[in-house]
Order: sequence, then structure tokens, then C-alpha cells
Amino acid sequence: MKLQEYTVSKDNFEECMKCTVCTAYCPVLQVNPLYPGPKQAGPDGERLRLKDPYFFNYALKYCMNCKRCEVACPSGVHVADLIQAARIKHDKSAPKLRDQILASTDFMGSLARPFAPIVNGVTSLGVTKTVLDATLKIDRHRQFPSYSGRSFESWLRRRSKEQAAFPEQVAYYHGCYVNYNYPQLGKDLVKVLNALGVGVQLLDKEKCCGIALITNGMSERAAKQARHNVQVLGKAVEAGLKVVTTSSTCTLTLRDEYPGLLDVDNSAIRDSVLLATRFIYEKLAKGVTLQFKPDYHKKIAYHVPCHMEKLGWGVFSEKLLRMIPGVEFTLLDSNCCGIAGTYGFKKENYEASQAIGAPLFAQIESVNPDVVACDCETCKWQIEMSTGYQVMNPISILAEAILC
Amino acid sequence: MKFDTVIIGGGLAGMVAGIGLQKAGQSTAIISTGQNALHFFSGTFESLQEPSPRIVDLFAQAGIRLHYQPGVRLMPMGTFREAALSLEDIDFFPSAKIGRKALIVNFLGYHDFFSSFLAEGLEKQGMQCRIRFINLPEMEQLQLSPSEMRSVQIARKMDRIWEKVVQEVRLLLKDEDTVVLPQVFGLKDASVPGRIRQGVPAQVVFAGTLPPSVPGIRTQMLLKKRYELLGGTFLMGDEALHAHVHDGVVHSIVTRNLDNHYLEARSFVLATGTFFSKGLRSNPFAIEEPVFGLDVDYATERGEWFNAAFAQDQPYMQYGVKTADGLHAVKDGQPLKNLLVAGSILGGTHPELGSGAGLAVRSALEVVDTILQ
Amino acid sequence: MNANEFDVIIIGGGITGAGTQRDCAMRGLRTLLIERSDIATGATGRNHGLLHSGARYAVNDAESAEECIKENMILRKIASHCIDETDGLFITLPEDDLSYQQTFVDACLRAGIGAEIIDPDLARRLEPSVNPQLIGAVKVPDGSVDPFRLCAANMLDAKLHGGQVRLQTEVTGFIKEGNTIKGVHTHNHQTGEDVDYYAPVTVNACGIWGHKMAEMAGVHVGMFPAKGALLIFAHRVNNLVINRCRKPSNADILVPGDTVCIIGTTSTRIPFEECDNVAVTPEEVTLLITEGAKLAPSLSQTRILRAYAGVRPLVSADDDPTGRNISRGIVCLDHEERDGIKGFITITGGKLMTYRLMAEIAADAVCRKLAVDKKCQTADIPLPGSEESSYEAVAQKIWETPSTAQKAAAARMGTRAARIRTGDKRDEALICECEEVSVGEINAAIDRLEVSSLTDLRRRTRVGMGTCQGEFCACRAAGLLAKAHGCVARERKDLEDFLQERWKGNLPIGWGDTLREAEYTQWVYKHVLGL
Repeated sequence: MKLQEYTVSKDNFEECMKCTVCTAYCPVLQVNPLYPGPKQAGPDGERLRLKDPYFFNYALKYCMNCKRCEVACPSGVHVADLIQAARIKHDKSAPKLRDQILASTDFMGSLARPFAPIVNGVTSLGVTKTVLDATLKIDRHRQFPSYSGRSFESWLRRRSKEQAAFPEQVAYYHGCYVNYNYPQLGKDLVKVLNALGVGVQLLDKEKCCGIALITNGMSERAAKQARHNVQVLGKAVEAGLKVVTTSSTCTLTLRDEYPGLLDVDNSAIRDSVLLATRFIYEKLAKGVTLQFKPDYHKKIAYHVPCHMEKLGWGVFSEKLLRMIPGVEFTLLDSNCCGIAGTYGFKKENYEASQAIGAPLFAQIESVNPDVVACDCETCKWQIEMSTGYQVMNPISILAEAILC
Repeated sequence: MKFDTVIIGGGLAGMVAGIGLQKAGQSTAIISTGQNALHFFSGTFESLQEPSPRIVDLFAQAGIRLHYQPGVRLMPMGTFREAALSLEDIDFFPSAKIGRKALIVNFLGYHDFFSSFLAEGLEKQGMQCRIRFINLPEMEQLQLSPSEMRSVQIARKMDRIWEKVVQEVRLLLKDEDTVVLPQVFGLKDASVPGRIRQGVPAQVVFAGTLPPSVPGIRTQMLLKKRYELLGGTFLMGDEALHAHVHDGVVHSIVTRNLDNHYLEARSFVLATGTFFSKGLRSNPFAIEEPVFGLDVDYATERGEWFNAAFAQDQPYMQYGVKTADGLHAVKDGQPLKNLLVAGSILGGTHPELGSGAGLAVRSALEVVDTILQ
Repeated sequence: MNANEFDVIIIGGGITGAGTQRDCAMRGLRTLLIERSDIATGATGRNHGLLHSGARYAVNDAESAEECIKENMILRKIASHCIDETDGLFITLPEDDLSYQQTFVDACLRAGIGAEIIDPDLARRLEPSVNPQLIGAVKVPDGSVDPFRLCAANMLDAKLHGGQVRLQTEVTGFIKEGNTIKGVHTHNHQTGEDVDYYAPVTVNACGIWGHKMAEMAGVHVGMFPAKGALLIFAHRVNNLVINRCRKPSNADILVPGDTVCIIGTTSTRIPFEECDNVAVTPEEVTLLITEGAKLAPSLSQTRILRAYAGVRPLVSADDDPTGRNISRGIVCLDHEERDGIKGFITITGGKLMTYRLMAEIAADAVCRKLAVDKKCQTADIPLPGSEESSYEAVAQKIWETPSTAQKAAAARMGTRAARIRTGDKRDEALICECEEVSVGEINAAIDRLEVSSLTDLRRRTRVGMGTCQGEFCACRAAGLLAKAHGCVARERKDLEDFLQERWKGNLPIGWGDTLREAEYTQWVYKHVLGL
């Protein structure tokens, strides 16, 4: 019998050595003493919760799910997953209306899109923000991302024949942000991939990845969406396609949160889901080339989003950006921007969000780049709002810099 | 991804090796499962010899000033350890009688600093001691959490408000010639300990606390930054799973995050540390090196891994991988041509004598020289 | 009566001695408890923590079984904060004889134990960690008990009724007048003082050391030490006690207790000389894991926290020196009747969970000798802390919206947790993060529960019982103790002793995460702290 050779449970909390390193890297702990911290919320708390669910601490809701504790843990404990799994299992409080709205991106997107100009106008009004602050407790400082009149899907669908003509094909999991708010990023991706000889297809009715549903206490809905997405992705993979993404969080959710938190088996598709910068880097590493504009010059400061740090794929985006001639590149210090998706929209978290991101904003100001590069859309909103500097996805920067 | 050298392990040994190779013009990558043991570093190296200019320079260029002064160091439990080389905020004294009268200042409610043990230790040396506690609103803020009155959380605030502490100490100081403070200063700003010394009209001794170690964290941040400024690729939070080895030559390694995107290199360095960092793994029957399956030097009878007395040297802490021809790794009795080993995974660390930091630095530089030949 | 005179002296601070003192004190007697070390350092502190339903004895020892179930029900009432009412399963595995099940159930029912045959499917649902291959299951009212808490609560109640306690005090001889024992000579290990105490009746409640105590008094009680080894796992794997439904054998009980679970046990006769120094052998470790894995397969891969062994006092039923005939059940010897020595009683045999009955029998004997006519009330009046049986209710009453640490304190201290509500945030600071033990809880233990060392503190509060095994909490707690006792040099030694004691339990299972933790502990204390 292989006795005691592998002492690991699903989220390996027993491997915790109580070294406290995770607590040194938790962004929430630095600003909010009401949060028990990753060690207490995770491995310490788990032993008590196993004794009696009564010991569950509702203050676990202050966890941003940024995964920095996991990245820092010398023992490789899935601290953040432990915390989120505990919330899913024990926190049965009904999600507030506000949280349901914030998390239902597909629904809100499809509602808002037809009336985009009106919606955009209204949500940017001071009076609207004050009302939302008072009634739903959505902090009035937050700017809602504007909705696009045309969805990305409709744009790409109109070009499906021309895309099908390319010798190589990929499917694109675009996510809510690109589809409803910022189709430009999707268009940029298509441009870059086409330049590499790769045509882009839509998936057969993808749904929101569900990360906001998970963190807002709606994991059953998230699991339903997850199962749907896995099926849809499965069809593409069976057809021999890789699936590229442009959002670091969607990527983490599809690959890791589905099996880790929702018990949704994605083994058939996980290895085929790749962030676009990794896909492109790997293409270039195999010898395919891109032509860049000779007069392109940009001072870029790259912010690695938290989920990107967890994926460990910041290196791909970084190397791609450095490859562009004329780019003056700075890697910003590892620091959470503070918004953590829907977290920072909530009034009770706003101050903490801003305090967490403050060192990052200060560094951006001192670097004074032409643009901040970042793979995450919510980081983009946060940095643009808090610093006034423009944020572009590395794919958009590539699209801007290539000659075609 | 291709590099000249891939280093597995982002601790002191791995980073020193990375810095040395990058400086010599190589392209390198470091893979690190989480943060490293520098987070528990007391700040004192175990060697008593003067460090070479090469070592001093390497650290200085990263913004870390090393301090060589053979003597004794005041330890957190009021004991004294013979030492010579340390990070700059740590003082060594010619003898254990470090002064005449000491004022030991701690934060109210901070349990990780052992003021009564320090006092007893100094009193045994003939000093007179007074313990006083100070309280600041920022500390009260921290204490809203039952568990986070920790060194690193305090230090983060101290970077901004250290002057308040100086003020309080000056108010408390009577005729003492020595002030002992917890080592919770200088997390991001390395100049804070020096500025505190200037502001207090007595000799200031910073005594350590329970981990995390503030000077250790600062050192690790500076080394990592230096490595990255030199162009190194630091893959934080990734784990080397296994390697592709053929005819005694390592071709590439597979990591958890990069999965089928192998890391290829001409040379490889294994600096994965000891049991704590899983550089060595143990089960009831054996001790193994998990990435390459290298030969490990250990007693086959599990009973011999331990000394029944906690206070004595523990045999298992001496275990490490076997090496040949300098620091080449050995597998099934055969040396691997392009895999070198550095740091505490070599075995032979004695925690009560020092830290293994000296071994880490020396072996890392030896590895660098071997690779560059 | 002068200060060193009592109605009864009880020697032995295990559960039997503490329970006897409580009973006597509640009957109005002036009592003194003398213990050479700390409370619960003998078999009381080294057993399985099982609140027997008695089912295990039903087939072969109906009398013990009946005793057990009665006491089981009583303890649930009077010691609720020391008990976890988990229920238990007796499972039949494919290799066992399923027909034994009916014999077993019939015997249980005859003894008054509510045994219910349930479908293996239901058993799997009730207890997900149970071996899925089970072919039969019986549900019984087993539970788990924290022996330290129980012992401390008895001692506290005795003190509240005027009893006095001398820990770290060893009986060095008896004060005899002819054939009458009038008192004891004692030596205090802490102060070095020698003090004499007097009482018309002395009770020998020393467990296996009762043999030596009896010899010192001039009587012979045949006892045979039997060592039992157990393993503690790092976290709770099961919620119901899991037993094998077959003739009792080694390592066939898995008991959940607080944040851990414990597999045991074995039985090996050992010489008296070994009693103070028992260690777990590699063979015992392997046996415990392999047999344990048959009850709950995940145990084969679960992190092990500690290995420990205790010594059972087996009392001979006769004068056979080989000890082949062991007395079942409680043994109360009135040495005046038996040996002609007046003023001396030995109470032994029994189990942890029949302690109250043992104490009642002993106290009855004491009262007979003193011609005191008072009835036993220990079965009716709850121990201090157990006045409210739900720790959720306790926590809510004290704090309204309790934090996790406050909930943990309520679960450990019962109603006495109200003492730690000081309103000072700093008293809520955690000293032991693994088990969430606060400064307030530690100070309360130091104040009322006779704490003189870290190991004493551990027994009363769970400091150092978590997976870090004292890595962080030991030195923090040492700081608090140094403040309380005022002697740092003594606390330094205490810290070293504590770490040595923890290490002794980690060593036999020193691999995997346990080895990693041990290495880190070595690092922290030697390299970082300079101990």
C-alpha cells in the first residue's frame, strides 16, 4: 500500500506550514483589519470548519479572490480556493439585488446594448451615480463602462466567410466585456491573428465565464453557465481548434475555477484554452513573423493583473511587448490595482480598493508612460479612473504597432 | 521558451546565481514556488570570514549593504550568538555586555517581540533594564484584527510613521545608553533604521521578532528587482514538475503553469532548498528529490533521521543531494552534465550556528563560474 | 482545624482523583488534592477521548456495558461543554462476520444501549469518510470527550466548593500511627518545600502509580501496566465515531475530537519502570495507520500530527502474579477491611468515562468512614461551564455576534467563556492561531486553573495542539507566562521542555508535512530566535 506517500486533500490545506508568508502579500489585509487574512480564513479556518460549519466566518466575503496568497505560498497551498470554496459551501446568505445586477453581465449587456447611447449617457450622470450609491450601494465614484451599440459577435459574424478563408483557424472566447462594451479589442485580436495567417471564429453561443457569479454567492448559476461553456468549448476543441481569449480573468476562470470551485470537469478543453498573448508568442517562437511599423514609438508601463500572476503567463505578454521595436518598456511592480472585478464597485469596499491600488497609481504617475498595458478589463477601468492614464490590452498595442 | 540557463528555485541561492549569470550576459529564468526562506531570515550569515569583494558588490549593486564586524549578536530570546556578517540594520558587539543600561521598547499588544526575555538576557550580562510599551493609533487600527499584529504589517505602517516611534522613545528615555527596539523598520525604505538611530540619543539595537523577517523581506525584494532589472525572467508562483533528460543532459523542464510550453536551456541549476520548500520530499520509507529524482544522501533507517532531543542537531537537516565534480547533480550514480546544484539542497545546514545563507551565496557563485566556463 | 488538616486527602490528579474531590467537596467535606505533576498527566491525558456507549463491552461484559451507557447519559447532561455528541457506527467490513452484528445488537439492547442497524448506504451518507466497502452498520450513542477539559472542570468545581489543590507536589511517604494512616509527607517540586498534610481518610487515585502508592502505605494491590499507542491526525476526517463490529481488537476505533481525530489503540504489557517513559514504536505506527485506513480509507494519506502512548492500570482479580485474570470494571478497596490498614482507600480499574461512578463509590466509602451522611449529587448538578449545553447559544449570549475565536472559546470553556469578555481588543489577540486561542482565554486559565507551565496551559486551552505544534504560539505564550510568574529563567526552561515534549510526539511520524513542520520549528527557534 502506498502508505502516506501523498498527504494531500483537494485544496491541500494540510501542507500549510503556518509560515504566515501569505499574510504579507494579501492586499486586503493591508487596508482592512476586519478581514481575517488568508491564513486564518484558509488553512486555519478549515480545521475549525471541519469540526463544525458554525465556525465559518462571514468576514471571508472581504477576500478579493486575487490569488496572491497562492502565488506567495512556499508550500503551494490553494489558499484562495480554500476561502472561496468555504464561502460557496457555508455562506448561504441570499445575494443582494445589487450583487445580482453587477454579476449578471450577459443579461445587463444584452439589455443595455440596444439603448447604448441612452444608457451610457444616464450612467455617466452624477445624479445617477448618487442614486445608485444611496439605493444599491454601488459607490458613486465608479464609472460604469460604456456599452457599445453593436456587439462584437455581430461584427465578427458578418465577416465569417472571410475569416474561414485563412489557412489556420482558432475559436475566440471573447467574454462579456469585448462583446458588450469594447468590441474594439476583439477587432484588434482579429487583425493581429489574421496578420499571422490565422482566421478567427466565434464559439457556438458562449456565455459569461461566471467569475462574478462565483464571488457574489451565485455559484449554482455559475456552475450552469460553466457546464454550458465547457460543452461549447468542447465542440470547438473536437473540431481541432484552439480557443484564444483576451481576458486574463476569463482564462483563469475557464481553466481553473471551473474544476477548482465549481466541480465542473473541463479536462477535455482546459489545455486548449490559451490567452491570446501566449498563443501569439508561441506562433512567433515557431518562426512566424510580424512586420512592425518602422516609426512606431510608445512608452509602455505593463501592469500584470492578479489573475495573470496566478496563471504565470505575464511573461508572454511581457515578451511580446518587448519584441515591438520602438517600445520603451517598464514592468510595473507587482501590486493589485484594487478593483477585483465587482468588488470595487461596492460602496463598502470602495475605500479599501483605492487604498490597495494607491502604490500602483503612484508608480504609474512617476513612470509617466504613454499608455499602460494590461490584460484585464477591470484593471483597465480602475487605472483609467484612478490615474487618468489610458490602458490598452497588449493585443490592442500589437494591433496598433503592426504593419498590414 | 529558451534561455541560456534555467534556475529552479527563487531563494537566495537561485537569485544570486541568476544575478551572476545575467550580469555576465546570459539570459536566464528563475522558477519559484511562492516566496522564499529569506522571509524567515534572521539577517545573519553563518560564516565568520570576511566576504569577498565580489559578494559585497553583488549585494551592494542590488541596494543591500552587507555589514562585516566579528562579534556577538543579541538574539530575540536574550541570548547571544557569535557572528560576523549580516545585513546592515543588524549590529554585532565585541562582547555580550553591550552597554550599561537598556531601555527596551515594545508596542503594546505585540506578542512576537520578547521584551522580558531580552531584559533577562541583558541583565545576566550585568546591564540594568527597563521595559516600556508604546501605543499609537495606527497600532490600534491593526489590533482590530486578532491575528494581524505581525512584524510585516507593523513594518508597512512604520515606513510612514517611524518618526512617531522616535518621538515616543525620546520621551521615555532617561539615562539609558542603549535602546532595544523590535526589528519592524525598513520594509520598503532601507534608510529608516539608520534614521531612527540618528534620532535617538543612545545606541539603538534592533532585535528580531517571530517571522516574517522584515530585513529578510526587504532583501528578497531588492534581489528580485535587481535580477529583473538585469533582464532576468522571474516566474513567481510556478513549480517545476519534471524534466526531459537524455544521456545525462537535461534538455528542458516542465512547469505547472507553463505546462506544454517547456523551458529549454543549455544549463540548469537546482536550488530548491530543503524539506520546507519541498526541495526534498519524504515519506515513511525514503527521502527523494522530486524534480529530477537525483541521488540523495540520507540514512535508510527512518529512526536515524532524528535526534530524540529537540535541542540537539537533527540528522535530517544535514541531508542533501549528492554532487560530483564541483556541484554537478548526480542521478543513479551518474553526474548530469549540465545540471548544477546550489543552496541548502546541498545539505549540511546548522540552524543554531547560522542560516545557510553563506552556503547559498558561495555555492551559487561557484555554480555561476562553472556555467560560464 | 489548622490549615494543613482536611477531612480527606486525595492523591492523584487524574480524572478519578479530580472527580472524587468534586464529589467529596460537594458533600461538604474539606478536601485536598495532591498531584505530583499536572492534572491529567497519566492515563487521563493519554487515552482515546471516547465517550463509550458501552457497545464495545456489550457482548463480553454486560455489567461494564450497562455502567457505561448510564454514565454516558449522565455525562452528556453534566459535562456538556466537554463532550461532543457525535454518535458512532459499528461497521462490518467484507472480511468480518456479518452474523456477529445481530449478537452485538441484541447484547446492546439488553444492556440498555440504543443500537440501531442501518443500511450501509445511510451509513455512507451519515459519515462520508467511512470505508465505502462496508457491508453492515449499527448506529450507537458514542461520543467524544475532552479529558483535559473534564478534569479541569471537576477540579474547578471542587475548588468552588472549598477544595484545595496542590499540583507539582509528590507524596513521599505516609504518616502512620500504628495501623492507621493519618496523613502524608509531601515534597513540592517547584518550591522545593516539604510539607505534611493530615486527614482521617486518604484516597489512592493514582492510576497505575497507585501500585507504588499502595506499597508505600504497606498494602499490596496487584496491578499490571498495559501500554496503548494512538495517533492523532492533523484534522478531523470523520464526524461519527467509527468502530469495527467484531470482537474488540487493536486499532479499531477512530474518534473525532475537536479539530482532530484519533485512531487507537493497542495493548502491550510493560514493566513498571517504563511507565514514566512510554514511546510509540514504528511497528505500532504502521499498525495504527493500516488498521485505521480500514475504517476510513483517507487516513492512509492524511497528515499525522502526533503519536502518543498511555498506560492503563489493569487490576488483578486475584493474587496470580502473571496477571492473567484482570478485574473487569471498577475496583474500590477499603484497606481497613482488606488489609487492616485504617484510613486508606484505593479506587482504580474503571475507565475515563465511568469516572463519576468511580468517584461516587470512593466518596461513599470516604463518607462511611467519616460517618457523614450526605448523598452524591454529581450526576445531577452540571460542572462549571456546562450549565448551557449549546456552545452556539453560549457564544451568542455573551457576544451577540461572536468572532470565530470567540466561538472557539465558547466551545472550549462553555459558560465560563463569559470571563474573557473584557472589552479590551488586545485581549482578543490570538496567541495560538491554529486553534484560535486568545490572550483572554490564556489569562483566564492562568488565573483559575493552576497553570505553572506551557504544557499545563496546553492541556487547559489547546495552545500548541494545532498543526504548528507550538511553532509560533509556544514562545508567545511563554511571554505571557513569564509575565504571570515573574521568572523568565524558569520560563526559558519551560519553553525548552515544551518543545521537547511536542517533538517526542512528532518524531515517530516524522515524514511528509510533519517533517517539514519540524524543520521549520527548528529553524524558527534556533536560527531566528536563538533559543
